[in-house]
Amino acid sequence: MATAFEFAPAIALFPLAAFVIALVFGDYMPKKGAFAGIFATAGSLLLSLWVLATVAGGEPYNEQLYQWAIGDQIGFHFGILLDPLSALMLVIVSLIALLVHIFSLGYMNAEGETGLRRYYAELGLFTFSMLAFVFADNLLMAFMFFELVGLCSYLLIGFWFRTESAPSAAKKAFLVTRFGDYFFLVGVVAIAATFGTLSFAGTESFPTAAEAAIDNGETLFGFDAETWVTITGLLVLGGVIGKSAQFPLHTWLPDAMEGPTTVSALIHAATMVAAGVYLVARMFGFYAQSPTALSIIAFVGGFTALFAATMGVVKDDIKQVLAYSTISQYGYMMLGLGVGGYVAGVFHLMNHAFFKALLFLGAGAVIILMHHEQDMWKMGGLKDKAPVAYYTFLSGALALAGIVPFSGFWSKDEVLFDALIVGLEQPLFLAAYAMGLIGVFFTGFYTFRMVFLTFHGEPRTDAARDPHPIGWSVKVPLIVLGVLALVAGVVNLAPIGKLTGAEITFLEFWLDGEYGAIEGLTYHAYHEAVPFAEGYIGTETVTMLVGAGLSLGLALAGAGLAYSLYNVPEPVPHTEKLGSVRTLLRSNYYQDEYQVWLAEGLTLPLARAADRFDQGVIDGVVNGVSSVSLFGSGWIKRIQTGVVTNYAALLVLGFIALLVVLGLHGGWFA
Amino acid sequence: MSVPVDYYVLLSMALFCIGLFGILTRRNALMFLMSVEIMLNAANVNLIAFAFYHGNLTGQVFALFTMALAAAEVAVGLGIILVLYRNFRDVDVTVPSAMRW
Repeated sequence: MATAFEFAPAIALFPLAAFVIALVFGDYMPKKGAFAGIFATAGSLLLSLWVLATVAGGEPYNEQLYQWAIGDQIGFHFGILLDPLSALMLVIVSLIALLVHIFSLGYMNAEGETGLRRYYAELGLFTFSMLAFVFADNLLMAFMFFELVGLCSYLLIGFWFRTESAPSAAKKAFLVTRFGDYFFLVGVVAIAATFGTLSFAGTESFPTAAEAAIDNGETLFGFDAETWVTITGLLVLGGVIGKSAQFPLHTWLPDAMEGPTTVSALIHAATMVAAGVYLVARMFGFYAQSPTALSIIAFVGGFTALFAATMGVVKDDIKQVLAYSTISQYGYMMLGLGVGGYVAGVFHLMNHAFFKALLFLGAGAVIILMHHEQDMWKMGGLKDKAPVAYYTFLSGALALAGIVPFSGFWSKDEVLFDALIVGLEQPLFLAAYAMGLIGVFFTGFYTFRMVFLTFHGEPRTDAARDPHPIGWSVKVPLIVLGVLALVAGVVNLAPIGKLTGAEITFLEFWLDGEYGAIEGLTYHAYHEAVPFAEGYIGTETVTMLVGAGLSLGLALAGAGLAYSLYNVPEPVPHTEKLGSVRTLLRSNYYQDEYQVWLAEGLTLPLARAADRFDQGVIDGVVNGVSSVSLFGSGWIKRIQTGVVTNYAALLVLGFIALLVVLGLHGGWFA
Repeated sequence: MSVPVDYYVLLSMALFCIGLFGILTRRNALMFLMSVEIMLNAANVNLIAFAFYHGNLTGQVFALFTMALAAAEVAVGLGIILVLYRNFRDVDVTVPSAMRW
């Protein structure tokens, strides 16, 4: 009887095959290779579901498949780790990838794009990289596919490479994430050198080794073990901050909107950006050892959540609003993970994957409707003309804003609840919680500003009055995701569970290994390792109700403000009243400017100095050696006279000289 | 049968120096060849003298080989000299000096 795990490599290999097929035969296939991608991702989805069912049956899987290099102290290998977390993520990624492929039929093929062969090939490679990253069983393999994900997003963001902005956005995305990945690579090397293993799970894993080192009070590289774990953890976190677009490396993400909207959906919901947060969840056992690293994760997350949400308020481009909402939502996930809320973080990751894919695909549908117009001020009134797009988009928007009972409410509330209970005991975390909480208000506001400007009111342009129709390939993914955005929250209705005492927090049970998990990779194990005390206002239920009430109230307040300002037939740009604040926000807090200034003022002179050293000293030595030998040989070559007698004389003289040397050496004349 | 080995060595040294002198001072290619032959035979004398001195036949055998080699060398050398003459109408070794820097 073949088990699901024997087919597990195929989950990633299907999209790889689709990549090859689309690349080679794409031009001769119907729909330019789209079907290869659809069948491959559908196959991956089925296998992932099978794996999920098997893991749920109590059988996790952790195997090395291929030994890559073996050294004295350490071996590098490729392997597959299938536990509740990775099985869940595989399903999410392959589902979103499948829906994006289907949507692409309507968004790319039907719109007569060129270069579709390249598009579908890159999409396949992208899916492959992410799936392989998800089931990687060690940090090195994860790093490799992390990089591959970055490469693919570079290719896809720069899909319209003949425009001026897309190639530059692609380069920016690549360079900024690469900057973070540089730290990640150093971290991988540091962890490998310290603990002699890079495995995520098992007794021979680096989180276990780190825990043992801390318990034994070892000194690693001149630091005590906990400090060293913090240092290496923060190095790896560099890669996470780059990929998951956290402050200060978030600047690439809004520019990445230059890519096709389908690609944005894939990047933001399931692949590129999700990879960072997933990595933190994957090696949570390691971060749990270091309160400092966790606090930094929580603060970066909380700050990013608020920071990005404020910028989303003033954007006019529908995709830009969504881009900032993505940064903000990943901030919430980081906040959740940073306060030890492993379940909350993963829960929000899952819900966000659904509703953000939905919103981006919805934005794609809007862009089709609007004949490729993205400025929200030129839309309006699409509600009646495209009800499917409207209601699904609304479902995603309610989830994003965190309005009960949509999925986003449950997960965001859990993140904030976890931050609150930790914050009540460690007041420092209250600041992170407060930032997250204020972010909720802005999220509600910009989300509904977007909805009202796009769909409500009177049509403001001819394109909005006469929208382009959308086909089934656009509607089906929207409906699937719209339903998911509404109901995905039921997997972990923690507040209701606490109120009624019902055992309905299925995701928590799932991640806690109640249906089977790998030893040490459970929520319980993590929860015990996280060193933060938890406090409550009165009882746990009261705290929960207060937290939920606050976040829901703020979300509704934001949405209500947007309603009163923008749900009118002829909305006006109210954000202009903000004056200089608006300028600051529209310039994205001058983040790009200061990064360019850093690059030009610091990196460039450094690079020039290095270049001068290279050209002057290194090359100078090499060139000097060659010119000396050239000059010397110019003179010495003159002994080649061409006269045999001279050669004979030189031979004799040389022989005599040799004799004399040997004689002196041997002590003849002593 | 009582000539000490020193005399043989002196003889061979003298022969070798004569040959060397010839190589260093003569310009005629034929004289060159002859000088080389003399040096070879100086070595032969040495080989045989020491073979005799040690009561070991290896040196004599080697001398035979050297003779055969010398004959072959003369054949090649004379061939070279003939070609030299054909090209330069002369057998002066300082004339063909094209293979220099």
